[in-house]
Amino acid sequence: MITFRTLMLRLRALFSPRQAERDLHDELSFHIEREARKLIDQGMQPDRAWAKAKARFGSATVVADECRDQRGTAFVDNTTRDVRFALRSFRRAPLTAFTIVTTVAIGLGVVAALFTILNTFLFRADAVPDISEMYGVERARLANGDQSPFTRPAFDALRRETRVFTDAYAAVHDIDLRVDGRMMAATLVTGNFFDVVRVKPVMGRALAPTDDESGGNRVVVLSDKGWTRHFNRDPNVLGRDVLVGGAPFEIIGVMPPGFRGLEVGAPDFWAPLAQLAQFLPTHRGRENSAGVSIIGRLRPGLSMEGARAQIAAWDSNRESGTAKDRAGTIVLPPKRGTIPQPMEAVAVFMPLFFAFGLILMIGCANVANLLLARGVARQREIGIRLSLGASRPRIIRQLMTESWLLALAAAGGGYLISRIALGSIAYWAARTMPVDLGNANLDLDVPAADWRVAVFLVIAAMTATAFFALMPALQATRVEPVRTLRGEWVKNTRPGRARNVLIGIQVFASALLLISAAVFLRSAIASSHFDPGFRTADTMLINIVNEPKRAAMVQAIASESTVTTYAAVRPGMLTWPDAALATVGASRTSVLYKFVSPEYFEVFDIPIVRGRSFTASERDGDHPVVIVSESTARKLWPNGSGVGETFRLEQDLGSGTRPAPSGAEGPVPSGAEGPAPSGVERPRDEPSMPPRLVTVVGVSRDVAGFRIIDTKEAGIFLPISVNAPKTSVVVRVKGDSELVHRTLLDRLTRVDPNMGLIVTMRSVARLETFFLQIAFWVSLVLGGLALLLTVSGLFSVLSYLVEQRTKEIGVRMALGASSQKVARLVLAQTTRPVIYGLLAGVGLTASLATVLIATPAAATMTEVVRVTDPIAYVASLIVIVAACLLAAWLPATRAARLDPMQTLRQE
Amino acid sequence: MTSRPDLLPGTLDMLILRTLQRDALHGWAISERIQEISEDVLEINQGSLYPALHRLEHRGWIEAEWAVSELGRRAKYYRLTAAGRRQLAVETREWERMSNAIGRVLKHA
Repeated sequence: MITFRTLMLRLRALFSPRQAERDLHDELSFHIEREARKLIDQGMQPDRAWAKAKARFGSATVVADECRDQRGTAFVDNTTRDVRFALRSFRRAPLTAFTIVTTVAIGLGVVAALFTILNTFLFRADAVPDISEMYGVERARLANGDQSPFTRPAFDALRRETRVFTDAYAAVHDIDLRVDGRMMAATLVTGNFFDVVRVKPVMGRALAPTDDESGGNRVVVLSDKGWTRHFNRDPNVLGRDVLVGGAPFEIIGVMPPGFRGLEVGAPDFWAPLAQLAQFLPTHRGRENSAGVSIIGRLRPGLSMEGARAQIAAWDSNRESGTAKDRAGTIVLPPKRGTIPQPMEAVAVFMPLFFAFGLILMIGCANVANLLLARGVARQREIGIRLSLGASRPRIIRQLMTESWLLALAAAGGGYLISRIALGSIAYWAARTMPVDLGNANLDLDVPAADWRVAVFLVIAAMTATAFFALMPALQATRVEPVRTLRGEWVKNTRPGRARNVLIGIQVFASALLLISAAVFLRSAIASSHFDPGFRTADTMLINIVNEPKRAAMVQAIASESTVTTYAAVRPGMLTWPDAALATVGASRTSVLYKFVSPEYFEVFDIPIVRGRSFTASERDGDHPVVIVSESTARKLWPNGSGVGETFRLEQDLGSGTRPAPSGAEGPVPSGAEGPAPSGVERPRDEPSMPPRLVTVVGVSRDVAGFRIIDTKEAGIFLPISVNAPKTSVVVRVKGDSELVHRTLLDRLTRVDPNMGLIVTMRSVARLETFFLQIAFWVSLVLGGLALLLTVSGLFSVLSYLVEQRTKEIGVRMALGASSQKVARLVLAQTTRPVIYGLLAGVGLTASLATVLIATPAAATMTEVVRVTDPIAYVASLIVIVAACLLAAWLPATRAARLDPMQTLRQE
Repeated sequence: MTSRPDLLPGTLDMLILRTLQRDALHGWAISERIQEISEDVLEINQGSLYPALHRLEHRGWIEAEWAVSELGRRAKYYRLTAAGRRQLAVETREWERMSNAIGRVLKHA
């Protein structure tokens, strides 16, 4: 029972301990004085009376101590004492403390770095009031991966006809556009967007519904990110223009930092959805058929399920739309500015966490080993304290307090390490990332650490402490005071098995990580030699997004002196081609096709192995001629050469050969070609290819194509001219292609300030190896850390063992054991755990590789990443064994050099 | 001191509370009063008196006040609180029940 008065007593004892101490002293000394006075009054000599009174009282110190125990502040007092004691013992052995803190901090640092990234994508909800009310409205994905989007009219109808949301907005996300030569990301929103999210600008005004009327205002609102990145936080940015599609858009406001518009990464600015055609010229005149995302604020009191049912009913009752439009059912995903499928992201992150966690685990194992050894070394100290009357729980608490302090310091160090790691990764990735392919929205800023990261660090540090500190603490207190005081080691504190298990785990983890590193390295090397089957060294892809400027753009390209050849291609090199049905006799085959101009094969050095290329006159598209690839020719005419064959070709509308568009909000750099936001479907009626009979005029060599960029080269090529709309231009240049890239970018930006993608094929090819290199470096750093920790752990354990068994070794040598035998004895200590660890590591890696190879979904990945590369396995094993031998070498030689007489004399 | 029996465990608190029932006393006076009234049968061990006083104070059964003592210097006087009064009633009843029971067993068993 704690009343106000007793609480005050406690607080006083806590916060003015000096006053409480003085009171206690006064009270007890008064007692003695009063007793003495009584004895004097009875006639005793004063000094005898005092002595007797004191004697009768007993030990004032002990009484005072027991009184203090009654205060209820014992916990705090003890902890303070423990902390002081721990700090003293750190000062006595600063190197040990430093080793422990550094080791655990490295482990915590890498895990915290990973968690910071995960946090950014998964848990960092946007700064929107009552964000739990925000839901998207989507039709569910069909079996073939298609998802039919809503349109602006559908959104208007939803707002009018349903009462599910207090209000909702529509948006087109992730529009990348070049503004003044730099890529910016825009999101187009209806005029009520900022009212729905209830976020106010820090400067200027937000979009208003009037801005979004047809013929409304050409205005944009910057995000904090856009303001920082493109305007250097210029306080006078309001009123300046952003040029979009050749038209100036006035900057009217700047949003607060932290507000991302319910996206994972904030766009650079928001603009009215009514201006869609200005951003995406393909939609001019067809604005109402463009797909939009709908996001609304759920009416309070309405359940998500109820809302979903209402919208589903409304959707199926709507008159407009073809059957295809309504084939799905409605889903209401919560919108919080995080990755929409958290479970999938967690599944991706789990193996990473496992790998990173291994480092932490190895570090902890090292520290546990160290503390085990130290616990034995401190047996004497602990024995003395036990025999002086300290209770076992008290000493365990003391040891735990030490570990806690170390963990706390390690958490701080881990935080620093994670910041440094993330900073250098971001810096390094930004510098080595192949240029201009990167999505403008790819956020290479260092993810911020927030309170979740701090909580994670503390929890991880606590878990780690429990792992590495409890066992040694328990071990250390299991001593017999009398024998330890005599300086004897006590037999039952032999944590040998625990130690071997720890070593085994460490070797296992190192093997796992190093083999992965070697696999990635070998794959990266193989990949850099990989030939995509066409010329990448000096070729370039240029997308033309603004059709009215096409002629001028082509003219600019053609007149550039460094451009030797240019050709047209539709769709562009980084887009998945459409499928066509080829009817040969009775069989119908689905083949990818694309349109190319005659010079295409010349630009990319793709030889025509049989027949001829297109002629200049065929590029008007009226001639029914095609070129097929070798493999397609084999498929269609297994017995003939293919040249001269005639077959029927029509668009394959039914097939779902095109993979589902990747997640709209993820930072996926692939498919970053041009302004094709995934919310906006390519209209179905183009590229137009009327069904007709075509004749094969030539057979081209197969092109492997890029592997990591998710595209495939077509099997059938049809002729087209560079003047045809929606074609991209590919060019062959002479000289340094990066230099030409800059020149062309400069020149073309002057023709069209909002020009689309321009990218050298070399940087696309580099992207192939880029991810492998990242994987290699990550796993190499992790594997290196793992090995380093393992080796240092092994070394300290063996050194300690030699020290501990000095007497035994001395006896052995005195009895005639050779130094070789002694060295072997020491080495044998670790042979078994190291071998078991290696076997487990290789076994697990190999079985994971087998599973991966057998998984169809990972087929493209296993094609690139050579998961069973034997050289990678052998090389990493050699490295590990060599490192372990090295670690064992020094202690072993030290044992072999022991002087038996001297060690025996010490006893 | 060894000839005198130890206090029964748990009775010290009750004795202190009872001693403080009438007026506020300091620690020495409490032990003197108990010794006096018990006709020297019960001698309070000082080593347990003060921890007990502090315990009772922290439980809120007695409260302390510094006042000038008969020696002319300040001393800590303890006084029963309302909660202490209730606690004393509870403990006294429990004690009587217990000693009656023991008495009956000694007499009749």
